[in-house]
Amino acid sequence: MRIEKCYFCSGPVYPGHGMMFVRNDCKSFRFCRSKCHKNFKKKRNPRKTRWTKAFRKASGKELTVDNALEFEKRRNMPVKYNRAIWDKTVEAMKRVEEIKRKRQARFIMNRLKKGKLLEKEEAITEVKKNIHLIRAPHAGKAKQLEAKMVQKLQEDVDMADEDL
Amino acid sequence: MSLYNFKKIMVVPTAKDFIDITLSKTQRKTPTVVHKHYQIHRIRHFYMRKVKFTQQSYHDRLSQILTDFPKLDDIHPFYADLMNVLYDKDHYKLALGQINIAKNLIDNVAKDYVRLMKYGDSLYRCKQLKRAALGRMCTIVKRQKSSLEYLEQVRQHLSRLPSIDPNTRTLLLCGYPNVGKSSFINKVTRADVDVQPYAFTTKSLFVGHMDYRYLRWQVVDTPGILDHPLENRNTIEMQAITALAHLRAAVLYVMDVSEQCGHNLQQQLDLFNSIRPLFANKPLIIVANKCDVKMIAELSEEDQKIFADLTAEGIIVIETSTLTEEGVMKVKTEACDRLLVHRVDNKMKGKKVHDVLNRLHLAMPAKRDEKDRPPFIPEGALTRKKTMDVDEPKRKTERDLEIEMGDDYILDLQKYWDLMNEEEKTDIVPEVWEGHNIADYIDPEIMKKLELLEQEEELKEKAGEYDSDEESEDEEMQEIRVLAKQIREKKQLLVATSKEKDIHGPRMPRTTTKVERAKLEKEMGGLGLDMTDKDDSHYAQNARRSRSVTKKRKRDVSVVPTSKTRSQSASRPPRDQSGLRDATMVKKAKIMMKIGQRDMIRQGKKGEGDRHIYDLKPKHLFSGKRTNGTNDRR
Repeated sequence: MRIEKCYFCSGPVYPGHGMMFVRNDCKSFRFCRSKCHKNFKKKRNPRKTRWTKAFRKASGKELTVDNALEFEKRRNMPVKYNRAIWDKTVEAMKRVEEIKRKRQARFIMNRLKKGKLLEKEEAITEVKKNIHLIRAPHAGKAKQLEAKMVQKLQEDVDMADEDL
Repeated sequence: MSLYNFKKIMVVPTAKDFIDITLSKTQRKTPTVVHKHYQIHRIRHFYMRKVKFTQQSYHDRLSQILTDFPKLDDIHPFYADLMNVLYDKDHYKLALGQINIAKNLIDNVAKDYVRLMKYGDSLYRCKQLKRAALGRMCTIVKRQKSSLEYLEQVRQHLSRLPSIDPNTRTLLLCGYPNVGKSSFINKVTRADVDVQPYAFTTKSLFVGHMDYRYLRWQVVDTPGILDHPLENRNTIEMQAITALAHLRAAVLYVMDVSEQCGHNLQQQLDLFNSIRPLFANKPLIIVANKCDVKMIAELSEEDQKIFADLTAEGIIVIETSTLTEEGVMKVKTEACDRLLVHRVDNKMKGKKVHDVLNRLHLAMPAKRDEKDRPPFIPEGALTRKKTMDVDEPKRKTERDLEIEMGDDYILDLQKYWDLMNEEEKTDIVPEVWEGHNIADYIDPEIMKKLELLEQEEELKEKAGEYDSDEESEDEEMQEIRVLAKQIREKKQLLVATSKEKDIHGPRMPRTTTKVERAKLEKEMGGLGLDMTDKDDSHYAQNARRSRSVTKKRKRDVSVVPTSKTRSQSASRPPRDQSGLRDATMVKKAKIMMKIGQRDMIRQGKKGEGDRHIYDLKPKHLFSGKRTNGTNDRR
């Protein structure tokens, strides 16, 4: 039993799902669902269809070259079952998967950092331009003026007191 | 030889079908159009062609039947005799003879009518001649109806006869009914003959094939024979007799020791003696069957004496039981060996042997020293030969296991796996984990690679790649973000309210509507200004003073001031009064307006441009008789 990869979207094809198409030149194509199959029949290029993994990798939106990705490779010579090897492999798989996920997440985060900076700039310009929608320009000024006047008067009075 | 030709005989059609086919063929394959005005030779030729074509078709088909069916004189006497027994030689020959006669008659008819056609002088005459000819031919065939039916039945039965090769090595089973002949053949070959408790279960000859000493052997099962003279025998028994008479085979006479077949040993012995002449030149073995029920040793004195006599005459008696399979192999080997010896002897006596012997030459290398060099036979071959002779099962097969365990049996192929550790054979092998195939990760160096990877990870972590970079923003920035969010929300709100406004018709500018004091105070309060206690503010005072202070411009008395809002300036008169001098004119203008609208309103139109017709074909205008009058109204 194997989990195959869909030719179009590179998603997993579990046993009992999807379709396989064999062409006259003996190349076989597996599809995970009719969406991918229909797109294939329409002769669409998966590298140009934005929602597929192939597009994401080809346009640099996801991590492509990394050592953690080299572990999973289709091997054509089956190995005889040996409990020790299988145990070790399963453990290694789990650890590799962790590391792979971390690295992929880091890659995407780095890509999105620029966007965060732009957001900041935008907020600042927005506030500068349109503050008048939420705050009247002299909103608190009346009170401030009053407070100032009171202070001034107080000072005058003090000065007058001093003179005396 | 005639063996396979039986299956290749073409179907014999019934008389009716034969006629239909031939006539329709004539119609299709010859020209169909002829006219009175053609030249007479052309007409004659046309009809002659039809007659000859029909004759040709009949002739061909009948000849084919005659050649397909085997001539009883030409085939092996075994088959000839068998066919005689089954179909009656005379009837068969007669039927074929009739067909032959019919063929000749048809040829004669055609010849005659073609000759007559030469003297036909009109289309009608020629046509009648042709009709007569075809009619006569068809009648001839119609008369052969019964022969054709009989031949068809013979053909069907012939094609189903078992393909017995009379010249090859054969074992023949004979004996009373129910003694165990069919069980024997089932055990020894792959044949699947019916075995039932009633007599004459086997009604015809059956063939099975088996292998012995790398040669193919035929085993022929016959129907049981009863003890009465030859003339009284029925068809089924005659088949057995024919086989006995003509096949050069080893004869296995099967006797039932336990007398379960319904006949005692004396009767069986009598039968044996009566058909003994048929065993003249054939190796004979007596098979004492059903020995699981009764052994010969358990029999009475006289019965044992019978067997003793037989053995004394030199005939081999072997006890068997087709139920427990003991002795079956012995019989087989014994019979086959003796038959082989017999056949070789015959060949040696014949003429062809010398040619073969002259061609064979066994070369013996000259000995160069005294060292003995025997042929090398590997151990496996020796053990295999031994098991072949004894014919016992070498190892326990899965099938045996299945029979033994019955319902508990589970097919477990994992126990045959060839692994390094034997205990791991029963392991459940994991294949998939979280959407990944484990087989893709298996690598002898996976641990080393993992180590390298872990080291890389450590380095990366130390370099600070995985630190979360949410720099805590200073307060100012956070405040800015909050404000920006509020601004965006306010913008969206404004857009939404403007979309909600239900605007049909001309838009009034903002300044036409009066601003409510409470609304003004609420909005400004929302923007942050302090709106409490604003009674003596400018706008509040204005609101109180509005009525008394509004100025109106002096106008002519006749003009009635109708403006209701402050915003409309008094210098602009409303449209229904502009350009009118006095009250009479106003009245007249009003009347004119109403007259102009009268038609529209009466017709229920929405405006002067409304030309929509609600009912294009009102029924009352389109129904009824159209006498003198108009259709605009009825």
